[in-house]
Amino acid sequence: MFKPLDPLLHSELRLAVVSLLIGVEEAEFPYIKEQTGATAGNLSVQIDKLSAAGYVEVEKTFKGKRPCTLCRITPAGLQAFEAYVEALRTYLPVGQSS
Amino acid sequence: MEEKNNMTAERSLEIIRESIERSQRAITKNSALPLIWWGSVVVVFSLLILYLWKYQGGPVWNVLWLALWPLGYLGNRLIDKHQTPAPPSFVGKTIGHIWASFGIVCGFIGWTVCFIGLGVLPMELIAPQGHVVCISLTSIIALCFGMGSTITGFVLKSLAIEICGIIGGVGGFFLALQFGGAEQLYVMAAVSVVSLMIPGLIVYLQNKGKE
Repeated sequence: MFKPLDPLLHSELRLAVVSLLIGVEEAEFPYIKEQTGATAGNLSVQIDKLSAAGYVEVEKTFKGKRPCTLCRITPAGLQAFEAYVEALRTYLPVGQSS
Repeated sequence: MEEKNNMTAERSLEIIRESIERSQRAITKNSALPLIWWGSVVVVFSLLILYLWKYQGGPVWNVLWLALWPLGYLGNRLIDKHQTPAPPSFVGKTIGHIWASFGIVCGFIGWTVCFIGLGVLPMELIAPQGHVVCISLTSIIALCFGMGSTITGFVLKSLAIEICGIIGGVGGFFLALQFGGAEQLYVMAAVSVVSLMIPGLIVYLQNKGKE
């Protein structure tokens, strides 16, 4: 039985962003941009979508005098990611889902 | 990365795997130079103190170990400034805590024994009056070095670092018992090479290969 995939996470860039944030406490915008290879504009739009859904928390702060945008995954985002991975298993061929 | 919404399940899992691996690689990559740096500093100090101990006045030169910590720390800060910083993570912090614990425990034991040997602190602090106590400080520190490296290897999932840690720790512990006096510092230098510098080089070369 196929489980529905969260459309918010079923996107290459948004999934890459969330997967990146899973393993860290927080990450700066330039770091996420470098790791995903996305353009600044596109990444900003996708992070805004994730933030609006409550999956990612965005904090705009300063490092010294330099503006700094920090992103963190939220508990809701973590839950959504786990549910997404669980749902993915139902789409994999038998034997590959474990 | 283009905006694609019609991914297959396999592609989704591939993206997840790659992203997580990239994060881990960033942390591993940043640990290479600090390992090599601290290893080098310990080797230099070991050989310097060995020379001074043997030819210039005896074990009192062990006080130079006091200078290792600030020098090593400054060098580490310089390395951190020139590396692309990895974002804070549980793994990165755990490694920091491992080596901080090592520094605190070994520093405390080492300095207590050192000050007792110099007569600054009373012997009764560690042993009842009249008891003779023999401690191979080098063995203890070698063991702690080895444990620190081994645990770091487990956290970073690096078999090479785990093996180097075990060899350095166990080998250093028993080898240090074979030597007395200044010669023990040869063992300290060797343990540092095996437990710190070689793992650092391995990680450095592995990351070079992946770039």
